[in-house]
Amino acid sequence: MTADFKHQQFAHCESGVVSTLLSSYGLKISEPMAFGITSSLSFVYLPVIKLNGLPLIAYRDLPKNIINKISKVLGIKIKKEKFSDPIKANARLTKLIKDEKKLVGLQTSVFYLPYMPENMRFHFNAHNLLVYGKKNNVYQVSDPVFEDVVECEESKLTRARFAKGAFAPKGFLYYPEDISNSIELKYAIRKAIKKNAKSMLTPFPYAGIKGMKRLARKIETLYQEDTKYIQLFLTHIVRMQEEIGTGGGGFRFLYAAFLKEAMEYDIDNFVLEKSSVLFVKSGNVLREFALLCVSGSKNLEKLNLEQISNKLREAIFYEEEAYRMLKKV
Amino acid sequence: MDKVIIPQEENKTTDGQQKVMYAPNDDGKFETFKYGSSVEEYATTLAVEEYNILMEQSKQDILSFKSSPIEYFMYKNRMDIPTLASVVGRFQFTVKRHSKYRHFQKLSNKVLLQYADAFDITLDELKGLKFDS
Repeated sequence: MTADFKHQQFAHCESGVVSTLLSSYGLKISEPMAFGITSSLSFVYLPVIKLNGLPLIAYRDLPKNIINKISKVLGIKIKKEKFSDPIKANARLTKLIKDEKKLVGLQTSVFYLPYMPENMRFHFNAHNLLVYGKKNNVYQVSDPVFEDVVECEESKLTRARFAKGAFAPKGFLYYPEDISNSIELKYAIRKAIKKNAKSMLTPFPYAGIKGMKRLARKIETLYQEDTKYIQLFLTHIVRMQEEIGTGGGGFRFLYAAFLKEAMEYDIDNFVLEKSSVLFVKSGNVLREFALLCVSGSKNLEKLNLEQISNKLREAIFYEEEAYRMLKKV
Repeated sequence: MDKVIIPQEENKTTDGQQKVMYAPNDDGKFETFKYGSSVEEYATTLAVEEYNILMEQSKQDILSFKSSPIEYFMYKNRMDIPTLASVVGRFQFTVKRHSKYRHFQKLSNKVLLQYADAFDITLDELKGLKFDS
Protein backbone atom coordinates (compact mmCIF):
# COMPACT_ATOMS: atom_id res chain seq x y z
CA MET A 1 0.00 0.00 0.00
CA THR A 2 1.37 3.39 -0.90
CA ALA A 3 -0.01 6.70 0.19
CA ASP A 4 -1.44 9.57 -1.80
CA PHE A 5 -0.63 12.32 0.65
CA LYS A 6 -1.90 15.88 0.93
CA HIS A 7 -1.28 18.10 3.96
CA GLN A 8 -4.31 19.52 5.70
CA GLN A 9 -4.74 21.61 8.83
CA PHE A 10 -7.00 20.26 11.55
CA ALA A 11 -8.49 21.32 14.87
CA HIS A 12 -7.04 18.47 16.90
CA CYS A 13 -3.80 16.58 16.35
CA GLU A 14 -4.85 12.98 16.90
CA SER A 15 -8.11 12.98 14.93
CA GLY A 16 -6.34 15.04 12.24
CA VAL A 17 -3.49 12.57 11.85
CA VAL A 18 -5.87 9.62 11.69
CA SER A 19 -8.01 11.40 9.10
CA THR A 20 -5.07 12.21 6.80
CA LEU A 21 -3.48 8.82 7.33
CA LEU A 22 -6.55 6.77 6.42
CA SER A 23 -7.65 9.11 3.62
CA SER A 24 -4.18 8.94 2.05
CA TYR A 25 -4.42 5.17 1.86
CA GLY A 26 -7.85 5.34 0.24
CA LEU A 27 -10.29 5.18 3.15
CA LYS A 28 -11.85 8.64 3.19
CA ILE A 29 -12.52 9.62 6.80
CA SER A 30 -12.97 13.23 7.87
CA GLU A 31 -11.60 14.58 11.12
CA PRO A 32 -15.02 14.86 12.83
CA MET A 33 -15.77 11.29 11.70
CA ALA A 34 -12.48 9.99 13.16
CA PHE A 35 -13.27 11.80 16.41
CA GLY A 36 -16.92 10.78 16.64
CA ILE A 37 -16.71 7.17 15.50
CA THR A 38 -14.22 6.47 18.28
CA SER A 39 -16.58 8.04 20.87
CA SER A 40 -13.89 10.48 21.93
CA LEU A 41 -16.00 13.23 23.48
CA SER A 42 -15.61 13.21 27.21
CA PHE A 43 -15.49 15.10 30.43
CA VAL A 44 -13.53 14.20 33.52
CA TYR A 45 -13.13 16.12 36.77
CA LEU A 46 -10.93 14.18 39.18
CA PRO A 47 -10.05 16.09 42.37
CA VAL A 48 -8.00 13.11 43.59
CA ILE A 49 -5.45 13.44 40.81
CA LYS A 50 -3.54 16.68 41.26
CA LEU A 51 -1.62 18.58 38.60
CA ASN A 52 0.52 21.17 40.37
CA GLY A 53 -1.87 20.87 43.30
CA LEU A 54 -5.00 21.39 41.20
CA PRO A 55 -7.56 18.78 40.10
CA LEU A 56 -7.46 17.06 36.74
CA ILE A 57 -10.04 18.42 34.31
CA ALA A 58 -10.25 16.90 30.83
CA TYR A 59 -12.61 17.62 27.95
CA ARG A 60 -11.90 14.56 25.83
CA ASP A 61 -10.84 10.96 26.14
CA LEU A 62 -7.29 9.92 27.01
CA PRO A 63 -4.55 10.47 24.42
CA LYS A 64 -4.15 7.61 21.92
CA ASN A 65 -7.80 6.68 22.34
CA ILE A 66 -8.57 7.42 18.69
CA ILE A 67 -5.65 5.44 17.28
CA ASN A 68 -6.37 2.50 19.55
CA LYS A 69 -10.09 2.37 18.81
CA ILE A 70 -10.27 3.25 15.13
CA SER A 71 -9.04 -0.12 13.86
CA LYS A 72 -11.64 -1.95 15.91
CA VAL A 73 -14.63 0.19 15.01
CA LEU A 74 -13.76 0.23 11.30
CA GLY A 75 -12.54 -3.36 11.09
CA ILE A 76 -9.20 -2.35 9.58
CA LYS A 77 -5.64 -3.23 10.50
CA ILE A 78 -3.24 -0.62 11.79
CA LYS A 79 0.35 -1.58 12.44
CA LYS A 80 1.64 -0.12 15.69
CA GLU A 81 5.25 -0.29 16.81
CA LYS A 82 7.04 0.72 19.99
CA PHE A 83 10.77 0.84 20.58
CA SER A 84 13.19 0.83 23.45
CA ASP A 85 16.22 1.83 21.37
CA PRO A 86 16.14 5.30 19.75
CA ILE A 87 18.66 4.29 17.05
CA LYS A 88 16.56 1.32 15.97
CA ALA A 89 13.41 3.45 16.08
CA ASN A 90 14.99 6.01 13.79
CA ALA A 91 16.29 3.35 11.40
CA ARG A 92 12.85 1.77 11.22
CA LEU A 93 11.21 5.10 10.45
CA THR A 94 13.74 5.84 7.72
CA LYS A 95 13.19 2.42 6.19
CA LEU A 96 9.40 2.86 6.17
CA ILE A 97 9.65 6.30 4.63
CA LYS A 98 12.45 5.74 2.12
CA ASP A 99 12.17 2.10 1.06
CA GLU A 100 8.50 1.37 1.53
CA LYS A 101 7.34 4.91 0.66
CA LYS A 102 4.88 4.89 3.54
CA LEU A 103 3.13 7.71 5.31
CA VAL A 104 3.76 7.16 9.01
CA GLY A 105 2.08 8.57 12.12
CA LEU A 106 4.19 9.33 15.19
CA GLN A 107 3.54 10.16 18.81
CA THR A 108 5.93 12.84 20.07
CA SER A 109 6.52 15.38 22.78
CA VAL A 110 5.74 18.99 21.93
CA PHE A 111 8.69 20.41 23.83
CA TYR A 112 11.48 19.02 21.64
CA LEU A 113 9.99 19.93 18.25
CA PRO A 114 12.15 22.76 16.90
CA TYR A 115 9.45 24.19 14.64
CA MET A 116 7.01 24.73 17.53
CA PRO A 117 6.60 28.36 18.58
CA GLU A 118 8.66 28.97 21.73
CA ASN A 119 5.65 29.88 23.85
CA MET A 120 3.83 26.68 23.02
CA ARG A 121 6.60 24.28 23.92
CA PHE A 122 5.58 22.33 27.00
CA HIS A 123 6.22 18.78 28.16
CA PHE A 124 3.10 17.39 26.64
CA ASN A 125 3.93 13.92 25.34
CA ALA A 126 0.85 12.96 23.38
CA HIS A 127 1.24 15.09 20.29
CA ASN A 128 0.69 13.39 16.93
CA LEU A 129 2.19 14.14 13.54
CA LEU A 130 2.87 12.52 10.17
CA VAL A 131 6.18 11.94 8.43
CA TYR A 132 5.94 11.77 4.64
CA GLY A 133 9.53 12.07 3.43
CA LYS A 134 13.19 12.44 4.25
CA LYS A 135 15.94 14.48 2.62
CA ASN A 136 19.45 13.77 3.92
CA ASN A 137 19.06 14.09 7.69
CA VAL A 138 15.86 16.05 7.67
CA TYR A 139 12.40 14.55 7.97
CA GLN A 140 9.52 16.12 6.10
CA VAL A 141 6.69 16.47 8.56
CA SER A 142 2.99 17.15 8.27
CA ASP A 143 1.90 18.52 11.63
CA PRO A 144 -1.91 18.64 11.64
CA VAL A 145 -2.22 21.80 13.70
CA PHE A 146 0.11 23.77 11.40
CA GLU A 147 -0.94 25.69 8.32
CA ASP A 148 1.75 24.13 6.14
CA VAL A 149 4.19 21.23 6.09
CA VAL A 150 7.33 21.62 8.20
CA GLU A 151 10.78 20.06 8.46
CA CYS A 152 12.49 18.47 11.42
CA GLU A 153 16.07 17.35 11.85
CA GLU A 154 16.56 13.64 12.50
CA SER A 155 18.17 13.91 15.95
CA LYS A 156 15.56 16.42 17.15
CA LEU A 157 12.68 14.26 16.03
CA THR A 158 14.21 11.20 17.68
CA ARG A 159 14.53 13.16 20.91
CA ALA A 160 10.86 14.16 20.69
CA ARG A 161 9.92 10.51 20.10
CA PHE A 162 11.77 9.42 23.21
CA ALA A 163 10.74 12.13 25.64
CA LYS A 164 10.18 10.88 29.18
CA GLY A 165 7.43 11.58 31.68
CA ALA A 166 3.66 11.06 31.64
CA PHE A 167 2.40 9.45 28.41
CA ALA A 168 6.01 8.84 27.27
CA PRO A 169 5.77 8.01 23.54
CA LYS A 170 8.54 5.35 23.50
CA GLY A 171 9.07 5.87 19.79
CA PHE A 172 5.47 4.91 19.01
CA LEU A 173 4.72 4.84 15.28
CA TYR A 174 1.72 3.61 13.30
CA TYR A 175 0.43 3.14 9.77
CA PRO A 176 -2.51 1.30 8.18
CA GLU A 177 -1.75 -2.22 7.02
CA ASP A 178 -5.01 -3.38 5.56
CA ILE A 179 -8.09 -1.25 4.98
CA SER A 180 -9.86 -3.53 2.52
CA ASN A 181 -12.31 -5.04 5.00
CA SER A 182 -13.66 -1.85 6.49
CA ILE A 183 -17.15 -2.40 7.86
CA GLU A 184 -20.23 -0.45 6.95
CA LEU A 185 -20.11 3.00 8.46
CA LYS A 186 -23.79 3.29 9.29
CA TYR A 187 -23.70 0.67 12.04
CA ALA A 188 -20.36 1.77 13.41
CA ILE A 189 -21.57 5.37 13.65
CA ARG A 190 -24.80 4.47 15.39
CA LYS A 191 -22.99 2.30 17.87
CA ALA A 192 -20.38 4.98 18.54
CA ILE A 193 -23.01 7.67 19.16
CA LYS A 194 -24.92 5.50 21.63
CA LYS A 195 -21.71 4.50 23.37
CA ASN A 196 -20.54 8.09 23.76
CA ALA A 197 -23.93 9.26 25.06
CA LYS A 198 -23.98 6.44 27.59
CA SER A 199 -20.49 7.19 28.82
CA MET A 200 -21.40 10.86 29.31
CA LEU A 201 -24.46 9.85 31.33
CA THR A 202 -22.47 7.49 33.53
CA PRO A 203 -23.46 7.28 37.20
CA PHE A 204 -19.77 7.63 38.13
CA PRO A 205 -19.75 11.02 39.91
CA TYR A 206 -16.50 12.40 38.46
CA ALA A 207 -17.11 11.85 34.75
CA GLY A 208 -19.53 13.01 32.09
CA ILE A 209 -22.52 15.16 33.02
CA LYS A 210 -22.13 14.27 36.70
CA GLY A 211 -18.51 15.39 36.61
CA MET A 212 -19.48 18.70 35.00
CA LYS A 213 -22.13 19.26 37.66
CA ARG A 214 -19.61 18.50 40.37
CA LEU A 215 -17.22 21.06 38.90
CA ALA A 216 -20.03 23.63 38.78
CA ARG A 217 -20.75 23.00 42.45
CA LYS A 218 -17.08 23.28 43.30
CA ILE A 219 -16.87 26.69 41.61
CA GLU A 220 -19.76 27.97 43.74
CA THR A 221 -18.09 26.88 46.96
CA LEU A 222 -14.77 28.52 46.05
CA TYR A 223 -15.85 31.47 48.22
CA GLN A 224 -14.57 29.55 51.21
CA GLU A 225 -11.04 29.40 49.83
CA ASP A 226 -8.46 32.16 49.92
CA THR A 227 -8.18 34.50 46.95
CA LYS A 228 -4.89 33.05 45.71
CA TYR A 229 -6.46 29.61 45.39
CA ILE A 230 -9.55 30.99 43.65
CA GLN A 231 -7.35 32.69 41.12
CA LEU A 232 -5.28 29.55 40.55
CA PHE A 233 -8.36 27.38 40.25
CA LEU A 234 -10.07 29.59 37.67
CA THR A 235 -6.97 29.98 35.54
CA HIS A 236 -6.38 26.25 35.82
CA ILE A 237 -9.82 25.60 34.32
CA VAL A 238 -9.00 27.98 31.50
CA ARG A 239 -5.68 26.28 30.82
CA MET A 240 -7.16 22.80 30.83
CA GLN A 241 -9.94 23.93 28.52
CA GLU A 242 -8.14 26.29 26.16
CA GLU A 243 -4.64 24.99 25.89
CA ILE A 244 -5.12 21.28 26.21
CA GLY A 245 -8.77 21.27 25.23
CA THR A 246 -8.29 22.79 21.76
CA GLY A 247 -9.97 26.14 22.13
CA GLY A 248 -12.89 26.20 24.52
CA GLY A 249 -15.72 24.31 22.99
CA GLY A 250 -13.41 23.02 20.26
CA PHE A 251 -14.29 19.40 20.91
CA ARG A 252 -17.98 20.27 21.14
CA PHE A 253 -17.91 21.87 17.68
CA LEU A 254 -16.00 18.87 16.39
CA TYR A 255 -18.72 16.60 17.73
CA ALA A 256 -21.46 18.80 16.27
CA ALA A 257 -19.73 18.47 12.91
CA PHE A 258 -19.62 14.70 13.35
CA LEU A 259 -23.35 14.49 14.08
CA LYS A 260 -24.10 16.59 11.05
CA GLU A 261 -21.97 14.31 8.88
CA ALA A 262 -23.64 11.26 10.42
CA MET A 263 -26.95 12.49 8.95
CA GLU A 264 -25.75 11.29 5.53
CA TYR A 265 -26.07 7.72 6.80
CA ASP A 266 -29.79 7.83 7.49
CA ILE A 267 -29.78 7.05 11.21
CA ASP A 268 -32.25 9.30 13.03
CA ASN A 269 -31.86 12.61 11.31
CA PHE A 270 -34.29 14.48 13.54
CA VAL A 271 -32.31 13.62 16.67
CA LEU A 272 -28.92 14.15 15.02
CA GLU A 273 -29.84 17.58 13.71
CA LYS A 274 -31.30 18.65 17.03
CA SER A 275 -28.34 17.45 19.09
CA SER A 276 -25.86 18.96 16.65
CA VAL A 277 -27.49 22.34 17.37
CA LEU A 278 -27.26 21.65 21.10
CA PHE A 279 -23.53 20.95 20.87
CA VAL A 280 -22.97 24.20 18.97
CA LYS A 281 -24.78 25.97 21.81
CA SER A 282 -22.70 24.17 24.42
CA GLY A 283 -19.47 25.02 22.58
CA ASN A 284 -20.36 28.70 22.44
CA VAL A 285 -21.33 28.73 26.11
CA LEU A 286 -18.09 26.99 27.11
CA ARG A 287 -16.13 29.79 25.46
CA GLU A 288 -18.15 32.39 27.38
CA PHE A 289 -17.47 30.33 30.49
CA ALA A 290 -13.72 30.54 29.84
CA LEU A 291 -13.97 34.29 29.25
CA LEU A 292 -15.75 34.69 32.59
CA CYS A 293 -13.06 32.66 34.34
CA VAL A 294 -10.38 34.89 32.82
CA SER A 295 -12.05 38.18 33.73
CA GLY A 296 -12.92 36.83 37.19
CA SER A 297 -9.36 35.85 37.99
CA LYS A 298 -8.00 39.14 36.65
CA ASN A 299 -10.41 41.25 38.62
CA LEU A 300 -11.21 39.60 41.93
CA GLU A 301 -13.38 42.45 43.17
CA LYS A 302 -15.89 41.91 40.41
CA LEU A 303 -15.65 38.15 40.64
CA ASN A 304 -19.05 36.50 40.55
CA LEU A 305 -18.64 32.79 41.16
CA GLU A 306 -22.33 32.11 40.86
CA GLN A 307 -22.40 33.62 37.39
CA ILE A 308 -19.44 31.48 36.30
CA SER A 309 -20.98 28.36 37.75
CA ASN A 310 -24.30 29.09 36.06
CA LYS A 311 -22.55 29.48 32.71
CA LEU A 312 -21.17 25.98 33.06
CA ARG A 313 -24.62 24.74 34.10
CA GLU A 314 -26.01 26.19 30.88
CA ALA A 315 -23.59 24.05 28.88
CA ILE A 316 -24.49 21.05 31.03
CA PHE A 317 -28.17 21.65 30.34
CA TYR A 318 -27.67 21.59 26.54
CA GLU A 319 -25.39 18.58 26.60
CA GLU A 320 -27.54 16.52 28.93
CA GLU A 321 -30.52 17.01 26.65
CA ALA A 322 -28.43 15.95 23.66
CA TYR A 323 -27.05 12.82 25.33
CA ARG A 324 -30.51 11.72 26.48
CA MET A 325 -31.72 11.87 22.88
CA LEU A 326 -28.59 10.32 21.38
CA LYS A 327 -28.68 7.40 23.78
CA LYS A 328 -31.82 6.20 22.05
CA VAL A 329 -30.94 6.61 18.36
CA MET B 1 -29.10 26.88 13.70
CA ASP B 2 -27.07 28.82 16.23
CA LYS B 3 -24.04 30.56 14.81
CA VAL B 4 -20.68 29.43 16.01
CA ILE B 5 -18.73 32.38 17.34
CA ILE B 6 -15.35 32.31 15.61
CA PRO B 7 -13.05 34.56 17.63
CA GLN B 8 -10.76 36.77 15.54
CA GLU B 9 -8.54 38.17 18.23
CA GLU B 10 -4.81 38.52 18.36
CA ASN B 11 -2.81 35.65 19.78
CA LYS B 12 0.87 36.51 20.04
CA THR B 13 1.92 33.11 21.35
CA THR B 14 1.53 31.24 18.06
CA ASP B 15 4.20 33.14 16.09
CA GLY B 16 1.82 34.12 13.31
CA GLN B 17 0.35 30.64 12.90
CA GLN B 18 -3.40 30.38 13.08
CA LYS B 19 -5.26 27.36 14.38
CA VAL B 20 -8.54 26.10 12.96
CA MET B 21 -11.90 25.17 14.43
CA TYR B 22 -15.14 23.72 13.04
CA ALA B 23 -18.19 25.84 12.28
CA PRO B 24 -21.07 25.56 9.82
CA ASN B 25 -20.69 27.43 6.53
CA ASP B 26 -23.55 29.22 4.76
CA ASP B 27 -25.05 25.90 3.61
CA GLY B 28 -25.04 24.55 7.15
CA LYS B 29 -22.18 22.13 6.41
CA PHE B 30 -19.29 22.11 8.85
CA GLU B 31 -15.82 23.07 7.71
CA THR B 32 -12.65 24.43 9.30
CA PHE B 33 -12.19 28.15 9.89
CA LYS B 34 -9.08 29.96 11.04
CA TYR B 35 -9.40 31.70 14.38
CA GLY B 36 -7.38 33.61 16.96
CA SER B 37 -8.37 33.49 20.60
CA SER B 38 -7.34 35.90 23.34
CA VAL B 39 -8.43 33.37 25.95
CA GLU B 40 -6.01 30.83 24.53
CA GLU B 41 -3.31 33.48 24.47
CA TYR B 42 -4.02 34.23 28.12
CA ALA B 43 -3.84 30.55 29.07
CA THR B 44 -0.54 30.03 27.25
CA THR B 45 1.05 33.25 28.50
CA LEU B 46 0.05 32.37 32.01
CA ALA B 47 1.75 28.99 31.80
CA VAL B 48 4.94 30.56 30.43
CA GLU B 49 4.79 33.30 33.08
CA GLU B 50 4.50 30.71 35.82
CA TYR B 51 7.85 29.19 34.86
CA ASN B 52 9.46 32.64 34.68
CA ILE B 53 8.33 33.34 38.24
CA LEU B 54 9.69 29.99 39.39
CA MET B 55 13.01 30.72 37.65
CA GLU B 56 13.29 34.10 39.34
CA GLN B 57 12.51 32.53 42.74
CA SER B 58 15.07 29.81 42.09
CA LYS B 59 17.68 32.42 41.15
CA GLN B 60 17.21 34.15 44.51
CA ASP B 61 17.46 30.81 46.30
CA ILE B 62 20.68 29.95 44.49
CA LEU B 63 22.19 33.30 45.41
CA SER B 64 21.37 32.58 49.05
CA PHE B 65 22.82 29.03 48.79
CA LYS B 66 19.52 27.26 49.22
CA SER B 67 18.84 25.85 45.76
CA SER B 68 21.11 24.29 43.16
CA PRO B 69 21.41 25.08 39.44
CA ILE B 70 19.48 21.86 38.76
CA GLU B 71 16.34 23.55 40.04
CA TYR B 72 16.95 26.62 37.91
CA PHE B 73 17.49 24.65 34.71
CA MET B 74 14.53 22.43 35.51
CA TYR B 75 12.22 25.43 35.43
CA LYS B 76 14.06 26.89 32.44
CA ASN B 77 13.22 23.69 30.56
CA ARG B 78 9.62 23.97 31.79
CA MET B 79 9.87 20.76 33.79
CA ASP B 80 8.66 19.84 37.26
CA ILE B 81 10.15 17.27 39.67
CA PRO B 82 8.20 14.25 38.33
CA THR B 83 9.14 15.05 34.71
CA LEU B 84 12.82 15.61 35.50
CA ALA B 85 12.91 12.47 37.64
CA SER B 86 11.58 10.50 34.70
CA VAL B 87 14.12 12.04 32.29
CA VAL B 88 17.15 11.23 34.45
CA GLY B 89 15.68 7.92 35.63
CA ARG B 90 15.78 8.64 39.35
CA PHE B 91 13.33 8.77 42.23
CA GLN B 92 11.51 12.04 42.78
CA PHE B 93 12.90 12.44 46.30
CA THR B 94 16.45 12.02 44.94
CA VAL B 95 15.89 14.75 42.36
CA LYS B 96 14.37 16.94 45.05
CA ARG B 97 17.54 16.52 47.12
CA HIS B 98 19.76 17.25 44.14
CA SER B 99 17.93 20.50 43.63
CA LYS B 100 19.20 21.69 47.00
CA TYR B 101 22.54 23.48 47.15
CA ARG B 102 23.95 21.30 49.95
CA HIS B 103 23.51 18.03 48.06
CA PHE B 104 24.44 19.45 44.69
CA GLN B 105 27.95 20.21 45.97
CA LYS B 106 28.57 16.52 46.63
CA LEU B 107 27.37 15.17 43.28
CA SER B 108 29.84 13.40 41.00
CA ASN B 109 30.44 14.53 37.44
CA LYS B 110 28.77 11.37 36.22
CA VAL B 111 25.49 12.28 37.88
CA LEU B 112 25.80 15.92 36.92
CA LEU B 113 26.31 14.94 33.30
CA GLN B 114 22.96 13.14 33.34
CA TYR B 115 21.30 16.35 34.39
CA ALA B 116 23.26 18.38 31.85
CA ASP B 117 22.08 16.00 29.11
CA ALA B 118 18.51 16.32 30.30
CA PHE B 119 18.77 20.10 29.95
CA ASP B 120 20.73 19.92 26.68
CA ILE B 121 23.66 21.92 28.13
CA THR B 122 27.31 21.15 28.91
CA LEU B 123 28.64 20.13 32.30
CA ASP B 124 30.40 23.48 32.65
CA GLU B 125 27.22 25.38 31.96
CA LEU B 126 25.47 23.45 34.70
CA LYS B 127 28.24 23.76 37.27
CA GLY B 128 29.23 27.31 36.47
CA LEU B 129 25.80 28.92 36.50
CA LYS B 130 26.33 32.60 37.30
CA PHE B 131 23.91 35.47 37.49
CA ASP B 132 24.79 39.10 36.81
CA SER B 133 23.55 41.01 39.76
